[in-house]
Amino acid sequence: MKNFGRKITRRDFLKSAAMGTALTLAGRPVFSNAKEEYDLVVISGDPAAATRKALEVIGGISRFVKKGQRVVLKPNMSFPKSPEVGCNTHPLVVATVAQACMEAGAQQVLVLDNTLNNPELCLERSGIRNACQSIKGVYVIAVKDRKFFREIKVPQGKILESVEVIKETLDTPVLISLPVAKSHSATGVSLGLKGLMGLIWDRESFHSKYNINQAIADLATVIKPQLTLLDATRALVTGGPGGPGEVQKPNLVIAGMDPVAVDSYGVTVAPWYGQNFKGRQVEHLLVAHQRGLGKIDLDQLRIFKGKT
Amino acid sequence: MRIFVQASSLLLFTALFYLATYKLPDWLPADVYLRLDPLLGLTAILAGKEIIGRTLWSLMIVGTTLVIGRFFCGYVCPMGVVIDFSHSLIWGRQKISPLKNETIFRKTKYFLLFAFLIAALAGISLSYFMDPLPLLTRFYTFVLYPLAITLINFFLDLMRPIFHALGWIGLSHRHYSQPVYYMAIVTFLILAAIITLSRLTPRFWCRYLCPLGALLSFISPLGLWKRRVSQECNECLKCQKACPMGAVEENPKRTHLAECIQCRTCAEVCPQEAITFPASFAATKASGHPTSAKGGEYSAIDFSRRGFFYSAAGGLTLAFLADRTPFTPLKGRYQLIRPPGALPETDFLQTCIRCGECMKSCITNTLQPCFWESGLAGFWTPKMDLRFAPCEQNCNVCGKVCPTQAIRSLPLEEKTNAKVGTAVLRKEMCLVWAQDKLCLICDEICPYNAIVFRTVEGYRRPFVIASRCNGCGFCEQRCPIQGDSAIIVVPSGEIRLKEGSYIKEAQKLQLEFKPDPGDDKFILEESGFKVNGGKKEGEKILPQEKTLAPKPKGFL
Repeated sequence: MKNFGRKITRRDFLKSAAMGTALTLAGRPVFSNAKEEYDLVVISGDPAAATRKALEVIGGISRFVKKGQRVVLKPNMSFPKSPEVGCNTHPLVVATVAQACMEAGAQQVLVLDNTLNNPELCLERSGIRNACQSIKGVYVIAVKDRKFFREIKVPQGKILESVEVIKETLDTPVLISLPVAKSHSATGVSLGLKGLMGLIWDRESFHSKYNINQAIADLATVIKPQLTLLDATRALVTGGPGGPGEVQKPNLVIAGMDPVAVDSYGVTVAPWYGQNFKGRQVEHLLVAHQRGLGKIDLDQLRIFKGKT
Repeated sequence: MRIFVQASSLLLFTALFYLATYKLPDWLPADVYLRLDPLLGLTAILAGKEIIGRTLWSLMIVGTTLVIGRFFCGYVCPMGVVIDFSHSLIWGRQKISPLKNETIFRKTKYFLLFAFLIAALAGISLSYFMDPLPLLTRFYTFVLYPLAITLINFFLDLMRPIFHALGWIGLSHRHYSQPVYYMAIVTFLILAAIITLSRLTPRFWCRYLCPLGALLSFISPLGLWKRRVSQECNECLKCQKACPMGAVEENPKRTHLAECIQCRTCAEVCPQEAITFPASFAATKASGHPTSAKGGEYSAIDFSRRGFFYSAAGGLTLAFLADRTPFTPLKGRYQLIRPPGALPETDFLQTCIRCGECMKSCITNTLQPCFWESGLAGFWTPKMDLRFAPCEQNCNVCGKVCPTQAIRSLPLEEKTNAKVGTAVLRKEMCLVWAQDKLCLICDEICPYNAIVFRTVEGYRRPFVIASRCNGCGFCEQRCPIQGDSAIIVVPSGEIRLKEGSYIKEAQKLQLEFKPDPGDDKFILEESGFKVNGGKKEGEKILPQEKTLAPKPKGFL
């Protein structure tokens, strides 16, 4: 803004107006001390350190978690496989977020997933239960029975009229999605939005009955995590969702409040099945974007990139 | 005192049963009660003509019985405890009335014992039918365990709102998956019959039928402690009426030593305090004649040579009937998938004691008891029901808990190589082959990349690579068609080794079961598929003829 003060061009005017609007919108007291607002925070580094930094840059977990609240974390822990296989969220990412929630005064943190495989083995082999064991107030639970789910309507659903969701997610004010970046044989990639399928009872019908890409977008209209923190420390670029497959190491943690934006960035961190893609090329992300669920074009996002 | 020991024994038995599951620590012998059973060991060894390491634990029981007497039945045997406790629960202190012709009934157990031993010598193991330990373990596995889970879940459901209100997250989300088994009703009826028989006379089973008791009673008269009746005895016969085993004879001073289980009920009820159990070294003579040792008067087992021949003939008949059926020559040709590490079929049937521990411990519930699938000789033997559940890669607990090692205890890597069968695609049922539909679930779920896709008539179609398939059954279980699976595991190609390494054997046969990233580039070529079975557009769409880089499913 070299002309600032003297002659205000239309471009400058628009810029400052936009900035002003953004600041006003963002100017809620809790995070007014944050210098700048980012749509996405991308940190490279170790799972734990990068996660910690990402939370810090986005304005601290206390933006999302208030004292005495119950929090649900939704990692991917659907497979009885160890972290190197890349099909589950890294245990340290989960533990770091859980720890931060407790430090922010959360009453309890529930780490929930409707695991695809044997629940006991998933909890054990994913390493997530073990990583969270020492943190008081954190419960890692595989939810594998219909009685723990409740049916809700999907008012904006195009193909889904209703869906059965884990009760605890519905009754808890805070939902933080902790997906892992991996390929998927039916949806191309499985990131945050696809990961939300782990909160519903009947995902089989998404595959067999509905157009899965539409169904994922429908689901995103009713399940809205306050924060999505994508674990791209490893990316299972082939063989997803269950592996084994080729595992690349982007070493990134991507955090943001817009689930479509996080996923859209996640698409670009690794070549999937040997090819590079953009968010717009992933059908379910495009559908979700077109239905107004989030931004998909990275050049319209304010992105913080950092290292640990 | 006795009740306390009995209760502890039953508790220990139950606890070990409960612990027999994934992930059983290596040091914990959860099957210890079954290992301690000398009859099981003896019949398995006789039938298989081979020493089985784990069964040598039973020498401990033999040794202690030689020293103490038949204490096992009165204090340790969990079946005895169940019979005693259920008796006092159902009928209270029932007046004991011995059966008429008791002596003949009493011999039944010896007949049974000899019949089982002779049948075992002939190569057919049948003692599991009536040995109390596998009998009770089976009841626990097929009846009590599923029932307990049902009740626990019911209770948890009832309490859930309370747990929830209290903020007890762990408890409010607790739920145990319900195990289910075939043969539950058969197993239940047998135990119910045993308990009901006690209505006729207490411990009917132990007195007249139990072959393990019979075996122990052969050596128990050598024990040190024996009942002795002093001159104070006024022949009131209270002891005779109270004895749960009917071990006190017409003349209350005399004892059926073989029947005495050292419970000392007689000493408790004696108004004259005339009964003691002093240690004495003098053994009884092994004849039907009464002997006296240090004032006690005893009679030994009344078992004639004729009785022996009869039971031997009975045993041989049983063995003949069980063995000479088409099942025997057909072994292995049936669609029966045995657990990984199971001995070769003949040895397996001779060694397996049908206790059901493997099926209890199975984490996926795929191990199920046979009924008639391989005849009388195969009752309750474990088979894998792979349409119902697969065999978990990371679990090897069935071999760990097998008391006779009919399923060998294998390290995980060995177990992975213990191929149980081979998946076979039934093209006429497969959605891809028969209907040109898009489906790749079997490939996706296969842990060893044993299923590959090749282009046939313009469509990518699944094939099984037999050398990579170890029969775990994930494909069979997950196949989305209704009813029978379009991909089933058959026993063909199974590796059953009596000894030696499965890894080496698999290498020799050029098999490789490796979690393999594999090649799923075919996803990139999926435009070769027509979803929903539309007509294909000629050969043009063959992948190799494409010019543009195709995109995986889900990408635009």
